[in-house]
Amino acid sequence: MTQIIAVHSYKGGTGKTSLSVNLAATFAKNGKKVCIFDLDFRAPSLFAILKTPNADFWLNDYLNSTCEIDKTLIDLSSRIPGNGKFYTCLANPSTEAIRDISSKDRKWEMRALGRLLALRESMLKDMKFDYLLFDTSPGLQYSSINAIVAADFVVVATTGDRSDVDGTKRMLAELYNLFEKKTGLVLNKVLDPAVTAKKTEMQNKIKTDYQVPLLGMVPCFCEILRAEGNLIFVQDKPDHPFTKILAEMARKIEANEVN
Amino acid sequence: MIKNELTNKKPSNILEKIEATLEKLNDKVEIMIEIQKSTNNNPNNSKAPLSLPEASLDVMTLLSMPDHLRKTAMSICRCSRATAEEIAEQTKRARAVESAYLNQLVIMGYLKKERKGRKAYFFIEKEVQS
Repeated sequence: MTQIIAVHSYKGGTGKTSLSVNLAATFAKNGKKVCIFDLDFRAPSLFAILKTPNADFWLNDYLNSTCEIDKTLIDLSSRIPGNGKFYTCLANPSTEAIRDISSKDRKWEMRALGRLLALRESMLKDMKFDYLLFDTSPGLQYSSINAIVAADFVVVATTGDRSDVDGTKRMLAELYNLFEKKTGLVLNKVLDPAVTAKKTEMQNKIKTDYQVPLLGMVPCFCEILRAEGNLIFVQDKPDHPFTKILAEMARKIEANEVN
Repeated sequence: MIKNELTNKKPSNILEKIEATLEKLNDKVEIMIEIQKSTNNNPNNSKAPLSLPEASLDVMTLLSMPDHLRKTAMSICRCSRATAEEIAEQTKRARAVESAYLNQLVIMGYLKKERKGRKAYFFIEKEVQS
């Protein structure tokens, strides 16, 4: 059963955060209890996108064992229509915190993995969360690999850019496969509308090229770029095609149909 | 003494007892083999340590491990503390196989082992974990 989802990519700018936020919001809109985590400790951005009030405790504090997870959670449920619950746990954006986390050694990273794995007990079992979403930093970084190891399912965001395609293929073969992770690929920012129209054809092509199933295809929407990260589409534009694509991805994950 | 014990019990109990004793012996032999291997690999050190110094079981280490050990190591990361039988349930491999791999991870310094009665528990070092 998929409950912890890591959203990852080889390169930056593939739309991980946008996908994570909107996927989490979709689950919440469907009545689920969801928490989205910012694991991009070197370039935190979730606090800006979600426009959260200042946090007293950060995910950094939980991983440093200076507090328990409940202290770090910010309840944003009032922003989502319906009875679902939407929480976030943020990475500390201060320069000092970024510097601190960059200097951690392997033993700290190992403890951090243990703390992430412990969320299964504390948040899923005790606090009854339905889904935890990890928005990670791109590439092969400790925090991202920790998130992948702790997750049940990895959503890999990729674009048609050649530099991204080759790296993603390598990462799929050499990282997710080694950890035996269930993976779904999201082809994001697709420019050619004909590509998204040929669904079955693309599904087969992706499976041949990347050796993983296709979770969804997202055309390049000018409205998303224009929103400059100010909108949660699932919440602000319920009839937008992007919202519908996200709803379909959430449905596939919930129904365990990604294969 | 064992002979007396065995004559008073049902055949199934006797088999269980034999199996448990064999498992114990198996564990001990595996450890002895591993110790011998590490001694042979280090000819300059005639008094080789019983296990390597404590090593961290972080994700990069997991990535560099051979596939068979990675599977076991990842399971122990998820459980924190488990017996070979509990790990075998997760990995769907035989208990004896997991026992051998877990002991190998102990020798490599990634795990600690503790016996409680007839059960052997494997765990990641507490000082490192907490």
